Amino acid sequence: MSNIITAQNITKRFTEHTALDDVSVEIPAGSVYGLLGPNGAGKTTLIRVINRITVPDEGRVLFEDKPITQQDIYRIGYLPEERGLYKKMKVGEQALFLARLKGLSRYEALVRLKKWFVRFGIEDWWDRKVEELSKGMAQKIQFIVTVLHQPKLLIFDEPFSGFDPINANLLKEEILRLRDEGATVIFSTHNMSSVEEICDHITLINKSKNILSGRVDDIRRSHGNNIFAVNYRGEQDLFSAAADICQVLECDYDKLSGMTSAKIHIDQDEDVRSVISAINEQVELRSFTEIIPSMNNIFIRAVGGNLK
Amino acid sequence: MRNIGLIIMREFKERVYKRSFIITTLLMPLLLALVSVAPTLIMIYAKGDTKSISVIDNSGIVAQRLESNEDVEFVAIPNGDLQEELKRSLESDNFGLLYIGEDIVKNPNNIQLYTNSSSSMLIEDAITDQIEEIIEAERLKEYNISDLKQILESIEVNISLSTFRNDSQEQTASSSAASSLIGIILGFVLYFFLVIYGSIVMQSIIEEKSSRILEVLVSTVRPFEMMMGKILGVALVAATQIVVWGVLIVLMSAVLVPALMPDDILASVEAVKGGADVMAMASSGVDVEMVAAISSITNTGYIAKLVVLMLVFMVGGFLLYAAMYAAVGASVDTAQDAQQLTTPITIPIILAFIILTMVMNDPNSPLVVWCSMIPFTSPIVMMGRIPSGIPAWEIALSIALLYATFIVMVWFAGKIYRVGIFMHGKKPTFKELYKWLKY
Repeated sequence: MSNIITAQNITKRFTEHTALDDVSVEIPAGSVYGLLGPNGAGKTTLIRVINRITVPDEGRVLFEDKPITQQDIYRIGYLPEERGLYKKMKVGEQALFLARLKGLSRYEALVRLKKWFVRFGIEDWWDRKVEELSKGMAQKIQFIVTVLHQPKLLIFDEPFSGFDPINANLLKEEILRLRDEGATVIFSTHNMSSVEEICDHITLINKSKNILSGRVDDIRRSHGNNIFAVNYRGEQDLFSAAADICQVLECDYDKLSGMTSAKIHIDQDEDVRSVISAINEQVELRSFTEIIPSMNNIFIRAVGGNLK
Repeated sequence: MRNIGLIIMREFKERVYKRSFIITTLLMPLLLALVSVAPTLIMIYAKGDTKSISVIDNSGIVAQRLESNEDVEFVAIPNGDLQEELKRSLESDNFGLLYIGEDIVKNPNNIQLYTNSSSSMLIEDAITDQIEEIIEAERLKEYNISDLKQILESIEVNISLSTFRNDSQEQTASSSAASSLIGIILGFVLYFFLVIYGSIVMQSIIEEKSSRILEVLVSTVRPFEMMMGKILGVALVAATQIVVWGVLIVLMSAVLVPALMPDDILASVEAVKGGADVMAMASSGVDVEMVAAISSITNTGYIAKLVVLMLVFMVGGFLLYAAMYAAVGASVDTAQDAQQLTTPITIPIILAFIILTMVMNDPNSPLVVWCSMIPFTSPIVMMGRIPSGIPAWEIALSIALLYATFIVMVWFAGKIYRVGIFMHGKKPTFKELYKWLKY
C-alpha cells in the first residue's frame, strides 16, 4: 500500500518551546489514521504542517511521494478543532462561499451542497442565519463543507467534540463511508473507544515526539502481557490447582452462576497449549481468552512513561 | 488571486447590503446640505421673543440713548427706586432690571443687571456694547472737538482683498477662505474614514479570530490573501461610499446651490466664471470674496477633481492604516486588548488632524509641506492643501510615497497576521510582535 502522506523528520520550534521534535509519520492511502496524544503534545501543529499552514523548521512532507505543493491543498479537506462560521451570514450563502474557496465552481458547489443538505435533512436551513443554529447544527455544516470538494485526504481535528451521541455516530458512519469511497482519513482525538472502532493505524505523540506508531491490532497485541482470562464451572480454587504451571493473578467464584473467573499470567517461554491442557484436566473449562489491552490503557501507560 | 476575489466580494456584500450602510450613505450628503443652509434658514424664520428690560438711570444720560431692537426692549423708569422696582419687575414678565449708577461716565463699572430668569451672553453683550459706546461718546464730548462724527466716518475703512492666481492658466478669481474651508472639510472627512474604516478592519478580524472561522479558512486560503481580501473588501466599501457622496455633492453643487442663490449674486458668479474683470466688479460694490467662494463651490469640474483626488488619497491612506489595524486585529483576542496596540496607529492620525488646522493659516509652511509628504500624515494634510492649488508634482510625489509605504506596511502586517491568527489567550507585547516578524 502506498502512502498518501509521508512526513519526514519534522521539527517545528516556537520561541519558547519545540512543538514537534523529529517526528516522522507515514500515512497509508485508504486508511483511517488516528493521531493521538495528550493536550499540547503537538498534534495540531503536525496537522498544520501537513496542511501547509505552518512551515516546519526541518523535515519535509510528501504528498503521494512528491513534495507537497500549494495545489495539493485543494485535495485535502481539513476540519480544525476550533472551528467557526460567520455568524451573520446565511447558511447556504456561507457554505457556497467556503465551497468556492476550495476551488469548486459556483454551479458545482450548489449542486453538491443541495445533495448533502438533503442527506443530512437540513434543506430548510439554507436561508437561516448561522447565529440561529445550535453548535451541533453548525458542525454539520462545517463537516459538509470539509468533504464537499471530494478531497483524497481528509483531516479531522477532534471531530467528535461537541457532538451528541447520535450525531457523533452519524459522523463516524460518514467517515467510514468516505474511507470506503477511497479517501484517506486522518483524525486526531482523545476519544480512545472511537480509535478502536474506526482507526486502522495510529501514531501517538507525546511531548513533541512520536512515541508509538503502527497498526492498531499490532499495537494492542504487542502490548498484551500474556494475561489470559479463564472461566470454568465449579468452585475449585485455581491458585492451588495451577500454581506450578502459571501465575494466578485473580480467582473469583460467583455463587449465583456457579462459575469461577480467573486471570492468569503465562510466561513468555511457556507453551500456552500445555497450560490450557493442564488447567483443562483440573477444572471444567468454559472459556480461555487472551486479554488484549484497550487503546485507553496503552495510551495512559505510554504517556505515563510506563510502556515496556 | 481567485480566493482574494471571493473574499473581497464577501466582505463587500456583507457590508454594503446592510440597511445601516445604505441609509448613512444616502442621508449623509442631505444632512450636510441641511447643516450648511440651516444657519440662513434659522436667521430668516426663527426670531426670538423681544426681551423687555426696565432701566433705572441715575445719571440721566444713558437711558434715553439706549436703542431697543428685535431682541431687547429698554423701558426707562424715571426716578425709580431700585428696591421697589425690583419687586415690581419680579411680578411682571419682564426679563429684568438694569441699574445705572450716577457716576457712570467716570466709573463705568457702576452698573448692574438684575434678571428674573437666567441671563445670556448675547443680551449682556448687547447691553455693554451700547453703554460702552454711549460712555465713549460722552467722554469724547468733554474734549470739545467739532465735526468729530464726520472725522470718524471719513477715516473708517473696510477692505475686501481680491485674490488671483498668477501661476495658473485659468486666471480666475479664487477665494482662499473658501479653499481652506473646503480643504479642512475634505481632510476632516478623510480623517473619519481612516479611523472608522480602519477600525472596521480590525474589529472584523478580531471577530473572525474569536469565532474561529479563520481556522477554517486558513486551510485553503493563504493568510496573506485573507488579509488583503479583507483590507481591499473594506476599501471597496469605503470607496463606494465616497463615490456615492461625491456624485450627490457634485449634483448638489451643480443644481441645488444655483437654485437657492439670489439672482444678482448668481449673475456675478456667472460673470466671474466667464472671466469678467473682477477689479471692475469690486469697485462697483459687489462682495468679491463671496462671489469667488460661490464660484468655487459651484464649479462642477473643480469639485469632481477634488472628489477623484480624495478617492486616491483615501484609498492609499486607508490601505496603509488598514494594514496596521489588521496586524493589531490579528494579534489580539478582544477589542479591549487592542487599545494599547492601536496607540501608535492613532497618534499619527491625530497629529495629521492637528496639522490640518495649520493648513488654514498657511498651506505652504514647511511643517505642512513636509507632513503632506510623509505617508502617515500625508493623506489628511494633503487633502487640506489641495484646494488652495499646489503644484501637480507635489501631489504626485505624495501619492507615490504613500502607495510605496503601503506595500512595505502590508508586508510587515502580513507577517504579524500569519502568526497572530493562531495566538489565543495572552495579549502580545510589542516585543513579541517584533519576534513574530522573524517567524
